[in-house]
Amino acid sequence: MDVKSTIAAQNYAAIRPATAPSVSPGGTEALRGLGTEFATFLQNGEETVKAGMTGQADAQALVQALAQTELAVETAVTIRNKVVEAYQEILRMPV
Amino acid sequence: MSELFKSFQISASAMQAQAQRIRHVTENIANADTPGYRRKVTSFENVVSQGMTEGMIRTAPVTLDRSPLTQIYDPSHPLADDSGYYEGSNVNSIVEIADAREAQRSYEANLKMFDQARQMSKGLLELLRR
Repeated sequence: MDVKSTIAAQNYAAIRPATAPSVSPGGTEALRGLGTEFATFLQNGEETVKAGMTGQADAQALVQALAQTELAVETAVTIRNKVVEAYQEILRMPV
Repeated sequence: MSELFKSFQISASAMQAQAQRIRHVTENIANADTPGYRRKVTSFENVVSQGMTEGMIRTAPVTLDRSPLTQIYDPSHPLADDSGYYEGSNVNSIVEIADAREAQRSYEANLKMFDQARQMSKGLLELLRR
């Protein structure tokens, strides 16, 4: 009986590392790249809008920058929603 | 996604070029009665960045139409010579209107392509949403 409980404790200890949170560098790096790209688009859009308002950029460039920014924001929001949804799915898992 | 963004850039550059073309046409029509005015001819060229063409276009340096100026008979005009003629412009309204219409059609086509690329990328994102 005593031996069995020791073995069980050992097994639990052996399993523990599997449940420990680990940061996989690949995923976060990709997300960071996406984030910086998004920030660049946003900044570019803002600068072009500013230039357009002061008459330094033409209307086509303004529309292009705004469309790009809109799509970048939409992409970011959609991906965020997807990630949050995935976390919620994990949280709903019966333990 | 960056391919679609590239087509945004290309169609925006084409729209920009057509806008410049229509500006030159406007200048020609505005100066139709200016003595000695030669009409401006717009031509296009590829944008080359780092030795590569990426499909974007821009207007080439403007050239002047070398066709002979019209001779207008008006002895009372201050610019008239001994025989009573002076040189008008070589602007032909029909040519200018045709050019303007062509610019408009090209602008519309590029606008459609812009919208097409936008709708495609929106459709792609729509997949993730459900």
